[in-house]
Amino acid sequence: MQLNNQQASKRRTMRPIAGAITAASCALLGPAATAADGDFWDFSEKWRFDSGFLYYGETDRVSAVEGVFSATREADVNDIFNFKVVLDSLTGASPSGAVAQPGVQTFTRPSGRGQYDVMAGDIPLDDTFRDTRLQMNAQWTKPAWQDVTSSYGVHFSKEYDYLSLGLNGSLAFDFNQKNSTFSAGLSYASDTYEPEGGIPLAFAEMVIDQGQPDFQTEFDATRIDSSDTRTTTDLLLGWTQIINRTTIMQLNYSYSNVDGYLTDPFKIFSVVDGNGVSLEQRYEKRPDSRTKHSVFAQVKHHFDESVADVSLRLMTDDWEIDSTTVEYKHYFWLSDNHYIEPQFRFYQQSAAEFYKPYWQSSEPLPEYASADIRLGAFSAYTIGLKYGWKTAGGNDMAVRLSYYQQVADDEIGVHPGVLNDLEIYPDLDAVFLQVTYSF
Amino acid sequence: MTIRLTETDFGYTGRFDAMASPCECLIESKDIATARAVMQLVSQETARIEQKYSRYRQDNLCFQINHSNGASVPIDSETYQLLLFADSCFKSSDGLFDITSGVLRKVWHFQPGATLPTQAQIATLLPYIGWSKVTFSEHHVCLPPGFEIDFGGIGKEYAVDRCAQILSHHFPALAVLLNFGGDLRTTIAPQTRVAWHIGVDCKVPDLTRMVELRSGGVCTSGSTERYLMVDGKRYSHILNPQTGYAVSDAPLTVTVLSDQCLSSGLLATLAMLHGQDAEAFLQQQAVKYFIQW
Repeated sequence: MQLNNQQASKRRTMRPIAGAITAASCALLGPAATAADGDFWDFSEKWRFDSGFLYYGETDRVSAVEGVFSATREADVNDIFNFKVVLDSLTGASPSGAVAQPGVQTFTRPSGRGQYDVMAGDIPLDDTFRDTRLQMNAQWTKPAWQDVTSSYGVHFSKEYDYLSLGLNGSLAFDFNQKNSTFSAGLSYASDTYEPEGGIPLAFAEMVIDQGQPDFQTEFDATRIDSSDTRTTTDLLLGWTQIINRTTIMQLNYSYSNVDGYLTDPFKIFSVVDGNGVSLEQRYEKRPDSRTKHSVFAQVKHHFDESVADVSLRLMTDDWEIDSTTVEYKHYFWLSDNHYIEPQFRFYQQSAAEFYKPYWQSSEPLPEYASADIRLGAFSAYTIGLKYGWKTAGGNDMAVRLSYYQQVADDEIGVHPGVLNDLEIYPDLDAVFLQVTYSF
Repeated sequence: MTIRLTETDFGYTGRFDAMASPCECLIESKDIATARAVMQLVSQETARIEQKYSRYRQDNLCFQINHSNGASVPIDSETYQLLLFADSCFKSSDGLFDITSGVLRKVWHFQPGATLPTQAQIATLLPYIGWSKVTFSEHHVCLPPGFEIDFGGIGKEYAVDRCAQILSHHFPALAVLLNFGGDLRTTIAPQTRVAWHIGVDCKVPDLTRMVELRSGGVCTSGSTERYLMVDGKRYSHILNPQTGYAVSDAPLTVTVLSDQCLSSGLLATLAMLHGQDAEAFLQQQAVKYFIQW
C-alpha cells in the first residue's frame, strides 16, 4: 500500500512545477520581490556599462584611436544581453607591398587622384590610409531548455569603403553536473568592399601620371568594378571542462571558409630585373577562397592570490599559412582592490604559397601573387602589463600598456643586385595603451 | 537577540541566532552605520516572523490555529498570503508538499537512539493529514479537529526573502547576501566582485561545493543532520504526507538555485520527497541544482 502510494505520487508530480512555485512565492512576497526580476529597461538593477579607450601606434606608421561602449544586462548567470558600439579612427601609412629602391620612387594613389614619392632606401608606404569605422554588435544569451544555453547575435560594421553584416548562433550543452560544457556555433558574414578608385584589375601595371594626356583613361583601364563582395562562414566547436575547484580548461576547434573578393585593392608588388631594379608595380591577386582550421587550448589555474592563464592556438589554411600563438597571462591580486596582470604573447606564421617580397621579370607571373607582409613569414611578440583598481565610487578601472614587435623571416637570403643592400621586409613596432572603465 | 558585526574585505558580516539557525548577512559596505542599520532591519523582521509563526510558542497565531478544535480563526493578510502559497505548493506538487503533515512528528523522532514508528502508529495519524480538508478565506482559516499546520517547511525561507525585500527597499544599491542556516538570498549583485562565492555545505565531511551567486536564492535540503538509521537504511527527517513515512531513498542533500529562497527551498524539499527520482524531478524544473548522494 505504501509502495503504491509512493509510485502514484511520483507519477503525478514528475512534471515542471518550478514556474507555478515561483509564481506563488512572487505572489506571497508581493510586487517588490518581483521587481527584482525587473523591467528589461530598468537600468538601475541588472545593467552594467563598460567603456574603453584604446590608442594603437606603430612607429612611423598607422596610429589608431578607438572608443568602446558596451551595455550588458545580466538577468541571470546565463541570461545575458549585450550591446556594444566601437568607433575607431585610423590614420597613417602602411606598407604598399612594393620594394625599397636606391632611388626615389613615384606611386599613384589607389584613388587615381594624385601621387606620392618614396625616398631612396625607404620601404614604400601608402600614406593615404585613413578611415573611421563604426561597429555595432548585439548578442543575446539565454537558457534554451534543460542544461542548454543558446546565444545569438548580429553584427554591423561600416567604414567609408567597407560594409560588413553578420549573424551568429550557438548552443552550449552542460552535462556531468555542469562540470563540462560542449558548445557548437555557426556564424555568417557578408562583406562589401567599395574602395575609392574602384577595384583594380589583378596584375595590371600601376599607371604613373608623367604628364601624358590620357592618364585618366589609362588609369581607368586598370579598374574592373566599383565594388566586390565576400562571404565568411565559421563553425566553432568548443569544450569547457572544470577540472577541479581551481582549474578550468577550454578546447576549441574552428573552421572558417571565406569566399569572394579576398584581394587587398590597395596592395601592389614590384617586378624587378636581374639587378634588383624595380621595373613596374602590379596590383596583387589572391585566391577567391580561403579555408582555415584552427585549434585553441587554454588552461586557467586559480592560485590563492593569483590566476595563471596559458593558451595555445594552432592554425592552418589552404593558402599554406600555418601559425602558432602562445600566450601567458598572470593575474595577481594585490591588497585593497588593486591587481596587476603581466602578459606575454608569441606568434609565428609561415608564408602563403603565393607570397614573395617581389617578383623577378625573368620568371613568369604566377596565378596568384601578393607582397603583403601580413601574408609573409614572420614572428611577433607582445609584452604587456595591465593594472586595475577600484575607484572611490566603487567602479572598476584598468590601464593596459603593451608593446608589439614583428620581425619578418627572410626565406630568400640572397637578393638580386641593389636589393641586397636594402631593407626588404617591413618590420613593425607598435604600442597599445588601453583604458577601461566599468560602471 | 545578540548581533555580532565583524569587518571583512568587502565590508561587514553580521551574525545572530534565530529560528534555531545561525543567521548571517554579508554586507558589501565599509560604512558601519549602514551595516548596523541592515542588521537591525534583518533581525527585527526575522524575530517578528519567528514570533508569529513558530510552532514552539504558545502565545502566537500559529498556536491559536492549531488549537482551534474545528473553530474558525481570524487571520491577517500576511497569514492569508502564506496559506495561499502553501495551497499553491500543495496543488502544484499534487499533495506532496502539505503543511498539515507536521502531526507526524508525534511518532517520528530523529534523535540518536530513536526507533521507527510502527505502521499502526502512522495509520492513526494519517486521518489528521490533508490540506484539502482545510478551508480558508481572506479573513479566516478553519482546520478540522485534530489537524495542525506547520510553517516550519517555509518559515525560514520566507524570512530570508522578506528580509532581502526590506533591504532592497531601504538600501536599493547595497549588495547583501543573507544566509540563514544554509538558506541564501542576495539583494542585488555584488559591486566589488562578479559574484558571491558561496561554499554550500553538502553536510558531508570535507565536502564543500563552491557556488557563484550573482543574484537569487539558494537552498539546501538534506538528511545528513536529522535522520534515523535503521538496519542500514537512512530515514530522512522529510516526511511524505501521503504515506506518513520518512523518505528513505533520497539523496543526502539537494541544493537548488532560483530567483528566490522560497522557491529554491520548496523545490529542494520536493526533490527529496521524490526519493531516488530526485534528479529526474529537478531536470524537469529548469533550475540549477546539485545533488549529493
